[in-house]
Amino acid sequence: MPPIIDANKCTGCGRCVDVCTEDVFYGSKEGEVPVVTYPRECVHFDCCIYECPVPGAIRLRIPLPAMLVYKPTDGE
Amino acid sequence: MEEEMVKADVLCVGGGIAGLMAAIRASELGAKVIVAEKGNALHSGRGRAGNDHFETYIPEVHGIDMEAWINELLRTAKGETLLSRDIFRAQFAKAFDIVKLWDNWGIPMKYKGQWEFAGHSFPGHAMTHIKYAGQMQKRVLVNQALDRGAEIMNRVMVFELLCDANGVIGAIGAHTRENKVIVFQAKAVILGTGKCSRLYPSLTPGWMFNDPHGGVQTGDGRAMAYRAGAQLQNVEMPERHIGPKYLTRFGQATWIGVLRDPQGKPVGTFASKPDRKYGDMIMEVNKLVAEQYTQSGKGPLYMDCTGMTEEDHEYMTYWMKHEGMVALLNHMQEEGMDLRKNPIEFATYPMRLGGQIVANAQAETTLKGLYAAGDEAFGDISAAATFGWVGGENAAKYAQEAEAPDVERGRAKIEEKKQLINQLHGREEGPDWEEANIALQQVMYDYVGSVRNEALLKQGLSHLHRLKEKAYTTMIARNPHELGRCLEVLNLLDIGELAFLMASDRKETRALHNRPDYPFTNPLLNQFHTVQDIDGKPVIQWREIGR
Repeated sequence: MPPIIDANKCTGCGRCVDVCTEDVFYGSKEGEVPVVTYPRECVHFDCCIYECPVPGAIRLRIPLPAMLVYKPTDGE
Repeated sequence: MEEEMVKADVLCVGGGIAGLMAAIRASELGAKVIVAEKGNALHSGRGRAGNDHFETYIPEVHGIDMEAWINELLRTAKGETLLSRDIFRAQFAKAFDIVKLWDNWGIPMKYKGQWEFAGHSFPGHAMTHIKYAGQMQKRVLVNQALDRGAEIMNRVMVFELLCDANGVIGAIGAHTRENKVIVFQAKAVILGTGKCSRLYPSLTPGWMFNDPHGGVQTGDGRAMAYRAGAQLQNVEMPERHIGPKYLTRFGQATWIGVLRDPQGKPVGTFASKPDRKYGDMIMEVNKLVAEQYTQSGKGPLYMDCTGMTEEDHEYMTYWMKHEGMVALLNHMQEEGMDLRKNPIEFATYPMRLGGQIVANAQAETTLKGLYAAGDEAFGDISAAATFGWVGGENAAKYAQEAEAPDVERGRAKIEEKKQLINQLHGREEGPDWEEANIALQQVMYDYVGSVRNEALLKQGLSHLHRLKEKAYTTMIARNPHELGRCLEVLNLLDIGELAFLMASDRKETRALHNRPDYPFTNPLLNQFHTVQDIDGKPVIQWREIGR
């Protein structure tokens, strides 16, 4: 579901927990890998990723209902 | 429940662009300023992940006078927005000064050393918007506010204003991470609380946070302003937007492409090939076009960027990052989608409500000491920045003259709200905020939706009243986060109720307010439709527009 945190890369700095306005990480504990308590409240604006100091420690998975619809390339 | 008392000259409710600009200006003038933000001001509001267009008039660039330039602006969808010309004049007399300030503060307002005009304008006509690199705009504004001594309280949702006979004396906030109520004593309050999301279903059924506004903008400002006795206007008027399907995003003017039907024919007459300067203005003229094509069997519609140059692709991607579309770019990459090859489907986004807190060009509302700016008053980035600044200036000046209020005069209200919070926290079982919110969306969609008539509005309002009663008497909050969501739903219920009352009172069809029982637009109603709580009753009136 929305933010996915790589526990091997995450330093537990809590930056993402701090900045998420929707507070999807509510209840996360200081110094630990954050928990995504309210994944359905993610609005996919990447703010957590903007602020994360470790590249690749956090990424967003776009939920299936929000997948983009597009015309395939000819021949596909 | 713990109660914390905080005193300020000026309380800014909401730390978006308007709230932070108000905080910056009021602090600069020596006021003690607190910004109460229910999320984190670094990434809150409609500009949370960035923006790339700023509406501004630059005399030496445009070479026409401001009145002629405003006429150009009003050719777009903005022309329908029932705003007085005085507001536009005030905004554009100031907006370019704000542009220069932002540029000095470190928000890049120029592109390659020049003012870069693109988008939101018709080919061959005066350009209205400069491009700016706003991805980290909120950080810059937060730092400017802090540098001037403003205090930012994140995770505090202000949900009720406190007043005495002279006007505003403060506000009540709920902490969304701790079990705590914050009572603000303030000489002036500025509402910069954004639009009204989550009132109607989103593009994805049952997935209410697929909304380009984000999820936290729930009309808190207009709901509390109304309850405090300030006037609102045009609450019932619907708005629609257009953008990529299904990942909803603003930024229609950031796309360099042509809106085409399935056979590849351009839908509009403004663009026939990708053009970085103008985009495709058909979306500015008719945001319903995607829905109309689909419903009439001619859809779907595609934003077709194929044929664009490599330079244009790079240019568009750069601006998309600044317009808060990073997730969309990453998703396209992960899915193997390439805008140089794949037209992307566009949809007309679901209905939402427009409407405003009534505010003049000084950002003053009808309630003494209460100011409003940003989407609660007159939207878009330039207006939020400009009227936030103006509101901060006037609130600071007002606070200098005003006597220190006695917030204890609001004690009865404080206790009433604490009791409400205790009840929401105290129930063991009952509907949570999400259940109540979905029930509200359902009644809004079905009864005050795209088709409205007297019988529907009457039936829907009676159902909404029963829902509201249930929400107050049975809703549960399992923790402070859910408490904030519950308070949002209670605000949405108030706005929904006003929409019903005002839609019923507007006995005409106008723009997206569709009343088959009154099918014509009544030119005598080219006015503001206002509502105000007087002695506990909503009083609806018409007010002339200064054009």
